[in-house]
Amino acid sequence: MNTNTMSYKTKQFMMFAGLTTFAFAAVVIIPFIYGLYLTFTSWDGVSREKPFVGFANYASTFADGAYWQALGRTFIYSIIAVILVNVVAFILAFLVTSGVKGQNFFRAGFFIPNLIGGIVLGYIWKFVFNRAFVSLGEALSAGALSTSWLATSGGAMLCLIIVSVWQYAGYMMLIYVAGFMSVSADVLEAARIDGCTNTQSIIHISIPLMTSSFVQCLFLTITRCFMVYDVNLSLTNGEPFNSSVMAAMHVYNQAFTYKNYGTGQAEALILFIVCAVVGVLQVYVGKKAEVSA
Amino acid sequence: MDDLNERAARNRKIKHAVFIVLLIVLFVCFIFPFILVLINVFKTKADITSDPLALIGSHGFTLKNFPEAMEKMNFWNSFANSAFITIISTILTILLASMAAYVIVRNKWKACGALFGLMVASMVIPFQVLMIPLVSLYGGVLGLLSHRATLIFMHIGFSVSMATFMFHGAIHTNVPLSLEEAGTIDGCSRWQIYWKIVFPLLKPTIATVAIIDAMAFWNDYLLPSLVLAKKELYTIPIATQVFYGTYSTDIGLVMAALLLAMLPILILYLFLQRYIVEGVTSGAVK
Amino acid sequence: MKKKLLAVTLVTAMTVSMAACGGSDSGSGDSGSSDGKVSFTIFNSKSEIQEYLEEAVEKYNEENDVDIEVYYSNDTVAAHLSTKYASNDPYALAMTDAKDIYSLGVEYGYDMSGAAWVDDTDYAITVDGKVLGFPTCIEARGILYNADAIKEITGEDFDPDSIKTLDDFDDFCAELVKGGMEAPTAILKPDWSLGAHYLQQVYEEREDVDGFVDSLYAGTADLNNDEKFNALMDTFDVLMKYNAFASGPISAEDEMVHQKMSEGEVAFQFGGCWEWNDLVDYDYTGNIGLMPVPQNIEDAYTGYLVGGGSKYFYIDNSEYTTDEQRAAAMDFLEWFASAEDAQTLVSDTCGMISPFNSNTVECSNDLGKSVKEYVDAGKLVPNYDYDPDDHYSKVGAYMQEYLAGQIDRDELADKIEEYWASATPVEH
Repeated sequence: MNTNTMSYKTKQFMMFAGLTTFAFAAVVIIPFIYGLYLTFTSWDGVSREKPFVGFANYASTFADGAYWQALGRTFIYSIIAVILVNVVAFILAFLVTSGVKGQNFFRAGFFIPNLIGGIVLGYIWKFVFNRAFVSLGEALSAGALSTSWLATSGGAMLCLIIVSVWQYAGYMMLIYVAGFMSVSADVLEAARIDGCTNTQSIIHISIPLMTSSFVQCLFLTITRCFMVYDVNLSLTNGEPFNSSVMAAMHVYNQAFTYKNYGTGQAEALILFIVCAVVGVLQVYVGKKAEVSA
Repeated sequence: MDDLNERAARNRKIKHAVFIVLLIVLFVCFIFPFILVLINVFKTKADITSDPLALIGSHGFTLKNFPEAMEKMNFWNSFANSAFITIISTILTILLASMAAYVIVRNKWKACGALFGLMVASMVIPFQVLMIPLVSLYGGVLGLLSHRATLIFMHIGFSVSMATFMFHGAIHTNVPLSLEEAGTIDGCSRWQIYWKIVFPLLKPTIATVAIIDAMAFWNDYLLPSLVLAKKELYTIPIATQVFYGTYSTDIGLVMAALLLAMLPILILYLFLQRYIVEGVTSGAVK
Repeated sequence: MKKKLLAVTLVTAMTVSMAACGGSDSGSGDSGSSDGKVSFTIFNSKSEIQEYLEEAVEKYNEENDVDIEVYYSNDTVAAHLSTKYASNDPYALAMTDAKDIYSLGVEYGYDMSGAAWVDDTDYAITVDGKVLGFPTCIEARGILYNADAIKEITGEDFDPDSIKTLDDFDDFCAELVKGGMEAPTAILKPDWSLGAHYLQQVYEEREDVDGFVDSLYAGTADLNNDEKFNALMDTFDVLMKYNAFASGPISAEDEMVHQKMSEGEVAFQFGGCWEWNDLVDYDYTGNIGLMPVPQNIEDAYTGYLVGGGSKYFYIDNSEYTTDEQRAAAMDFLEWFASAEDAQTLVSDTCGMISPFNSNTVECSNDLGKSVKEYVDAGKLVPNYDYDPDDHYSKVGAYMQEYLAGQIDRDELADKIEEYWASATPVEH
């Protein structure tokens, strides 16, 4: 059978990926293109009129100081959160694959935060930060706990980071666990016989062999952190003084609360481009590392 | 030599003890918020506000938050909707994404590269960008909103990118080409090779994708709230959210609603986690 | 081959089941009338009445042989309605804030002129001769007081009229502190309360409101030297001085403020009559009322509350709502304004102040009773409903910074002026 004809290729592609392509295009690509069009209108989000205004929305995006502040804030938050999530996840994965008793139980436990949606998580943590910690602080008369961390700008960011680490670490742990498992026991055994200590074999054998896990986890955490919305909404709602408004929340407010749909959509598009550049760059660098390892 | 072994054994024991202590501390941190919900769900609103850490409030132990929250959330109906949508979407996503990933990994065609590139890029599209265009298209133009099938279709459309990405990695690293070549020699078609050789080898990734997607579908709020505009179609997150808005001042009820929203998936997970973890490990080692 | 068969069977089974459930859904489509009954949907944006409204509508459905469903959404009203219009599935009847009627109602609102209820109220919204907004209730802002808490300290019945000026108020609070109440006031910290409710009074309590707002847009207004701004901020300073949450004013959650107010741990709080439902569920002491915000200047607004019609219904006039549905919605509003059941629902069950003269059912809400007295005496400063959409969020954030002690009054004034100078004027 000739496998190099156009009809063979088309048939194979449609057989395996046809439905997927269809669903993906219909749900993501086409609406995206329509959304792109809307950035060139001054639509308010509700009206029948969608006047075409050219690049005016992009001009107002560049003039929107609050947006760039939110984006800068998102960068800082993402960098810290991504590092912490992955460090914690890696440590968790290491601990639950080290052969201690009940490691399956712990694996299950650490994954639990993922069972619950971001909005609900936010409400629970808000309660923890505002009430539980505060009454704990009062009971112990511990100064750092006696006022809510959510009430100061830095504190609100810290809370967002804590919740993100708590939320994503279990999930990333799962990917790292699979990574640890895929490092073959023979190789590790050989290393042990050659006199490698545990730490050495992790650094020199496991980590390089797990590059694809790292690429995957970093990509997932980076994109999630850049687009954080649910937890932002339910945990801080931008407060205090609008100092914890992340990029996605600003976009949502711009489009709906302030009724500048076109501008909001344009700002969202820029957020998308930033995410895409950072994400792809990271994958590219990671793949290179994988090849050289 | 004996001495050395003994020391190694003792060291291992100490190390394990340290690990276990560390794990327990971390574990408590991880489930602390849930414990808090559990404590407060049996208290009245006034008691929760005045002392959230007390085990039993001054107004005593109460169970009345549950039946009230269940009735107001229309719990069983929402539960059935959520379960139906989650199960079907998850199965279809796994089948479709793994197939697509296979054809993408094994062929250097332009269409494959383009599809995969677009999929990876689409993972970083903020949902807010697509929200209005999506409802304009499916509601305004096609008139397909308020059907469970539409939501399932959209769930698939949104989740295939990420699932394909994960299967792509798995096929790339865990499925040896030599096995497939052996299959070809035995006279299997591409389709047969896929189902007989490749798909079974993907078990650990299937388990991972299944958990991750099922959680995502079960918990998703924004998309279902746009698509399912009718009360009888509400899923648990929509019901919880509407409930939270309506009764946000009655924090006892809210606690009960939060607990009810996470309970089904928690029970399922505790029940299945052994198989899930086993699936991940057994598949990965081979 | 077995696997392939299995997969195909699975997919087929699912497709069939999906088609089946799709089919069963479509029965309840959006046809204006199913089973010969007119059916339509109502959007309610007043969360505290959702439960009661649903019950009442259920009864209304039975009595009038219609099929109405009431929806509530936690999203921003504008975002929610925007998705409904984008999907060509708007609510036939939607409740929004007054300012949404001016923006949304002008395009999508159905002219309700000629309805009997229009003559029964002073609070309907009319734009260019068209009656577009049906008022749900009257709401007013002022200082909430807990008379029981005060009596416990002073031993005398509290007479809100005895506090005319800020100095009176300050002295009174000092007396309460002396009597053993640690901190007599509490402040709600959300941006809508500080921005859209408290600071808003600076615009509202003056003769030429539009002229003043225009000068803000033009950047010519000088808040630092504005009498009203300073008077209100002086009062705010006193509220801050006695604030029970002074150590962490921004971490005081609304429920914590309400609990203290309800149980009489504090005596005063700036707020409005809609907070009634939030107050009564604690160990409520029993006597709470609303009084004007005391200020150290005397003008035409001394002794007035600020408020007016609130939460307006409009009927959708787009092609996605049928004439039949519109007629049914008109009937429903008529019922809501004048039927005995509805009047009981509004005033007694929900504890709202009806904007309709024919409604004589007593308001069950203690705060509402206070407001009613001011309404009847004509002592209500009207709301200003034309702020830009981001006003409450931006200016509310500045007020929070002031409350947290991060900026002083001059900086606050500058920031507010800056905000207005860069805002886009709202036409009305």
